[in-house]
Amino acid sequence: MTYLDWASTSPPDASLLAGAAEAASQFYANPSSGHALGAAARAELERIRGRLAAALGAGPGRVVLTSGGSEADAIVLLSALRAQDRLRASGLSKRLRVVTTEIEHPAVHEQARLLQSLGLELVYLYPRADGRVDPAELAEAVTRETVLVAVMAVNNETGAVQPLAELARALAAASAALGTKPPRFHADAVQALGKLEFRPAELGISSAAFSAHKIRGPRGSGALWMQGELEPLAVGGGQEEGTRPGTESLQGAWAFAGAAEKALSSLAERREAALALEARLISGLASIPGALPLPLGRGPGDARYSPFILSAAFPGLSGEVLARALSDSGIAVSTGSACSSNARRKGRRVLEAMGLQPELAFSSIRVSWGELTGGGDIDAFLEAASTLYKKLKA
Amino acid sequence: MDAFYLVKIGEILLKLGNRKEFEDRLRSQLNRRLAFMPHKVEAYPGRYFVSVPEEAAADAEFVLARCPGVNGYARARKVEKSVEAVLAAAVEVARGRLASGRRSFKAESRRSDKSFPLGSFELSAEIGARVLAAFPEARVDIHKPEFTINAEIRERAYVFADPEPGLRGLPVGSGGKGLLLLSGGIDSPVAGYQMARRGLDLEALYFHAYPYTSQEAKDKVVSLARILSGYLGGMRLWTVPFTEAQLRIKKLAREDLSTVLMRAAMMRVAQRMAERVGANCIVTGESLGQVASQTAENLRFTGSFTDFPVLRPLVGCDKEETIAVARRIGSYETSILPYEDCCVLFSPKHPILRADLARETEAYRALELEPVLEEAIKQAERLDLPYPLAEKYRKRGE
Repeated sequence: MTYLDWASTSPPDASLLAGAAEAASQFYANPSSGHALGAAARAELERIRGRLAAALGAGPGRVVLTSGGSEADAIVLLSALRAQDRLRASGLSKRLRVVTTEIEHPAVHEQARLLQSLGLELVYLYPRADGRVDPAELAEAVTRETVLVAVMAVNNETGAVQPLAELARALAAASAALGTKPPRFHADAVQALGKLEFRPAELGISSAAFSAHKIRGPRGSGALWMQGELEPLAVGGGQEEGTRPGTESLQGAWAFAGAAEKALSSLAERREAALALEARLISGLASIPGALPLPLGRGPGDARYSPFILSAAFPGLSGEVLARALSDSGIAVSTGSACSSNARRKGRRVLEAMGLQPELAFSSIRVSWGELTGGGDIDAFLEAASTLYKKLKA
Repeated sequence: MDAFYLVKIGEILLKLGNRKEFEDRLRSQLNRRLAFMPHKVEAYPGRYFVSVPEEAAADAEFVLARCPGVNGYARARKVEKSVEAVLAAAVEVARGRLASGRRSFKAESRRSDKSFPLGSFELSAEIGARVLAAFPEARVDIHKPEFTINAEIRERAYVFADPEPGLRGLPVGSGGKGLLLLSGGIDSPVAGYQMARRGLDLEALYFHAYPYTSQEAKDKVVSLARILSGYLGGMRLWTVPFTEAQLRIKKLAREDLSTVLMRAAMMRVAQRMAERVGANCIVTGESLGQVASQTAENLRFTGSFTDFPVLRPLVGCDKEETIAVARRIGSYETSILPYEDCCVLFSPKHPILRADLARETEAYRALELEPVLEEAIKQAERLDLPYPLAEKYRKRGE
């Protein structure tokens, strides 16, 4: 099988899984236990946290170990409920506002809708046609009641890199004009980690969510980098300074730290290889009559996009059908578009938010690659896609 | 002790000339569905009796609740025809009902054996008195009782309480055999169920357009057929590959005609498959006006592609009614799974509403679909879905 679905998950690095199992066996005690074994596990866990923080490029702030990117997002988003509740308890009736984008991963998009259903005000920003959010629009959406802004670092369908530093500056300026301190600015950085230079503290954001399994680490391990204080919704044994209750996964953190270190040290060469694959894919698509890279007009080496992800439209053929047929031909890709009515909105949300015609969004698939992908994989995809598109196009 | 059931039969009793045939069919349907456990089916005029081992009681009730032709059934006590035996059984029946928290009751008796010493009214009164004497918490309420004790004095005496409703209708097969066009939607399983209740045995036909329709969509149809098999006593599902036909229609036909032409092609295949399986009619879930393409003109057009009667039991139902039945028979939750036919690309934005029989028939001919359909029929896949209990007992046997 030719695996071109790295943005969904990446094949785990076997040496990291083995090393993690060893670490787990060696430091098996509960890091919260008072005995010597617990203390040793605590010390090891903190060493791992330090390695992870360095590899994440975190800078000043805390690294909270989580079960993955979704939980890291949830800790930040759901804390807005506590803020709203404090206001209510003090007798104030104002509704707090959350500003996010229509192109977020469901981990943020659905959580934001939950906040809305529980009484907060929710504002969605729509990206421009290039898939990027306009800082001026963010500035306009911010009010004195805004408690949280969440914009992803890299979009998981289009690869669009969001201008986080500019957004943060616009947010700061807008807040200053309102005479209020800037709200928390959270970024889901799951598709950024290991794919581009990402130093959250230098961007002016206040928290970022990361996941291990997108960079060849295991599932079930993630991290939240954060500055400042937030009051989490979930409570329990007080681990992670109360931010993320639950006994810490030492093996998950160990493997994540290892994966992040490898990703950091190989970033330059992997990006170079990814850029070559991106160019090969985009030029190959151009030779399939009708096929289009998305956003329309995306060319190779464009810094606005991650060179590890490309969505493409095959007008006249449902993306779901093409993905299915490709799978039968031994090629794994994802679709952002699903045919069934229940999934229809969900599947097309990101592309339609950019103003793409529904027909194109409907016909799109997402190709994503990583360090094990070679030029032959891209060629195999292009050949199969070309044949199947010709055959199945209505 | 065996679990013994009194089974009420309804509509069969109205059949005069061929009542025997209906009765035999119901008996064989019950035997077939109970075949997985030791059982006995006895037929008497107006009443059937089923006995199974106690541990199979729940399965017997599964059978009785889903077998068309059964009007109702109740766990019963079978006793000798003496007043004392009937009264003693009535006390036991009452004990069970009272244990479930019910208090008020009435007694109803039917005496077809006139040699029994008490009349129906007197027997009911005696039952009431005996139950009241045995259970101080019980009280009589003849208008709104919480349970009813029934005594029937026939070839033997039977005592039971509160029969459960059956499906009513007629035994499967008494109305012949049909071919059901089964899609993954809400309507067609309900249509199949309605016709099964009218005594029609069914095989089902599904058109699979892979890769346009997913494997999940097909699995969903199999699940729906499995649900129907619980009412039919087992079912055969045919899957005919339809991709080539759809592509040909899409490429060659005028866009607004593609829906009716596709349905016409499906009717052609249905006709051929019905002939092959020995069915005498075609059953569809079509409902007038439900979608734009289901108009009288279009039904006439598509119906003209078969000389079998096309039975459309839902033709006058509104969606709410159909959904209510789908919920009752347990198909709704499966039907709404999001793997509907991925035919968006094949669905014109504005399908033709009033097909002209002559003109559209000509359009159909021009497609020269017959060889494509012929090939599709050759590739039809057969899947036999056994009666649900068959699988349960097979697993138990493993």
